[in-house]
Amino acid sequence: MDLPVQQFRTKAEQELLDLYTKAASALPGANNPFVAALREKAIKTYGSLGLPHRRVEAWKYTDLRARLDEAHPLIAALGAAVGETELETALGKPIAAFPGYRLVLVEGELRVDLSDMAGLREAGAEVTSLAHALEMPPEWLRQTLGQVNPREDDAVLALNTALMTGGVALRLPEGVTLKKPVHLIHLDGTGAPVTMVTRNVVVAEEGASATVLESYGSLGLKGLQRNAVTEVKVGDKAAIHHIKFQREAADALHLGVWLANLGVDARYNAFQLSTGASLARNQLYVRFDGEGSATDVSGAFLLRGKQHCDTTLIVEHRVPSCESRELFKAVLDDEARGIFQGKIIVSPGAQKTDGKQMAQALLLSETAEFDSKPELEIFADDVVCGHGATSGQIDEDLLFYLESRGLPEPQARALLIQAFVGEAFEQVEDEVLREAFSAAAADWLGVPAE
Amino acid sequence: MLEIKNLHANVDGREILKGLDLTLPTGEVHAIMGPNGSGKSTLANVLAGKEDYEVTEGSVTWKGQDLLALSPSERAAAGVFLAFQYPMEIPGVATMTFLRSAVNAVRKARGEDELSTPDFLRVVKEKAKDLKIDVEMLRRPLNVGFSGGEKKRNEILQMALLEPGLCVLDETDSGLDIDALRIVADGVNKLRSPERSMLVITHYQRLLNYIVPDRVHVLSAGRVARSGGPELAVELEKSGYAEYGGEATAA
Repeated sequence: MDLPVQQFRTKAEQELLDLYTKAASALPGANNPFVAALREKAIKTYGSLGLPHRRVEAWKYTDLRARLDEAHPLIAALGAAVGETELETALGKPIAAFPGYRLVLVEGELRVDLSDMAGLREAGAEVTSLAHALEMPPEWLRQTLGQVNPREDDAVLALNTALMTGGVALRLPEGVTLKKPVHLIHLDGTGAPVTMVTRNVVVAEEGASATVLESYGSLGLKGLQRNAVTEVKVGDKAAIHHIKFQREAADALHLGVWLANLGVDARYNAFQLSTGASLARNQLYVRFDGEGSATDVSGAFLLRGKQHCDTTLIVEHRVPSCESRELFKAVLDDEARGIFQGKIIVSPGAQKTDGKQMAQALLLSETAEFDSKPELEIFADDVVCGHGATSGQIDEDLLFYLESRGLPEPQARALLIQAFVGEAFEQVEDEVLREAFSAAAADWLGVPAE
Repeated sequence: MLEIKNLHANVDGREILKGLDLTLPTGEVHAIMGPNGSGKSTLANVLAGKEDYEVTEGSVTWKGQDLLALSPSERAAAGVFLAFQYPMEIPGVATMTFLRSAVNAVRKARGEDELSTPDFLRVVKEKAKDLKIDVEMLRRPLNVGFSGGEKKRNEILQMALLEPGLCVLDETDSGLDIDALRIVADGVNKLRSPERSMLVITHYQRLLNYIVPDRVHVLSAGRVARSGGPELAVELEKSGYAEYGGEATAA
């Protein structure tokens, strides 16, 4: 293979390359020239980038190269048994019970037996397993896959493109509005450590709209290394509400990338709640390609122990008159570490841009840490942009006020933490989902849901 | 009955209460007056159990129970209620949710059943009406964006809902115009009963025109300097706190 030579590769870096070399001929779409070329280009990109490390500015606080000792083998689907009980254990009751069109990915494969493909198709959507679609990609997928806000500098994304084994391809034709949300459930499997690489593609054509919830939970697999990418193309006058709930096992590595671009008068709202994984890196890239559009990218993470969660996002205003909002809340206990990096880029000519971001952390222990790095790159002169960040502890006066009304201290504390993250949940438009998130936060805190 | 004996308390290492004695019999309303810095608010916070108020000597007994040994929430369950001078604003907590959590926490601690949602709503609506509180206001986050009067009425609403045996009102009249003062005072008077004791802390006599106390105590330098009947408040209004270490001008 013609790979660029790098001076030195770590064991994990080399193993990831080897995963591709070994699996390439058996990966979905191996015989399709379009897919094969896409993978080939991606592995070269990864080969020259290597794993990101702390000297790469965007990875300053999350040294993936240092933290990844080895790359586990790619998952082989064994047909793990999944029923309501497993779903509830993996995702918690409120999310497992969330009413929507369920699409269930287990061991990296779309399980048609557990998914409501028929319901979605009846509602007017086109939905297929990505693994299946890669064998002979339809025209719409060929025009989308790897092309929604592509990033040449992202090794995680490159690895995903090279190694993607499954996922969902969802197209909402012009004017189709889904009455129920789509719930994309991502579960691991059972047994020994593996690498799991999934990819979802969502296309909302002109005037189409839907809420897409991605949830991530564990069935008990040890040492999961997950790489999950979703590309979302939001057409003119289309709207996608894209939500993520991640509560993977305490030893999991979760690398997630969301790529979105918006047409004219479009709406893309993203929200991510993370409580799981040992190391999680959530990357969100949103790009405005059409005027009059808006995005809200928000989220919260609740971490304890030695959990590390990094949310890094770039919102790129390429055209005038678009609006972007970001609100992130972190609750950090023990020795947990939370990172928020938010960059707003306003291209020359993107006048009347309105961009604001805020990151706030609540530290529950002396040893928890929050790092926030807002960046504004503005190349236009008629714009309104702002950012802010705060980090603090629970206000003792507020705590006393609640306690003086009879709430025992742990309950008073929990109520204040819920109030803190609750403000971020307000960004979630779907009321049922908002309540499910409040319940998930209560669950994390170990208190009964309101 | 509340019995305070030789109470000494520090704030930030400075002694504020310096041997305070006070007896409040069940069913009586006593006013605590005094110049700024005499220890009025410190007394209120010590009774409610605020952490930064360190008791160094003395005792506080409520119904024969050592109050100082209890946590703030245990005191609330035991029937102690402090109406705050500056009620806290808590964004993200709906007032109604807060009220219900408080009522049920106290009921649970007292060994009573929690109120069902319809029962709770009925009680809240009834008591809110007495205080001219719009139920819409209770859907808003706790005290956020409330006017001074709304905050104080909300305090009295909480007092009415928690049914305490000992009410401590810390400068409840501060920041109120005369109409708001009247509503708040009416709410307080409605709660007067032979089973309930009240400690009304105020700098001014004005409030005591509406909530007429059985006894008035004047604090000076962390101790009770003088006690008397309601006429003492009227006298202070004329003479001011000069002889109690306050400024010479009439209060």
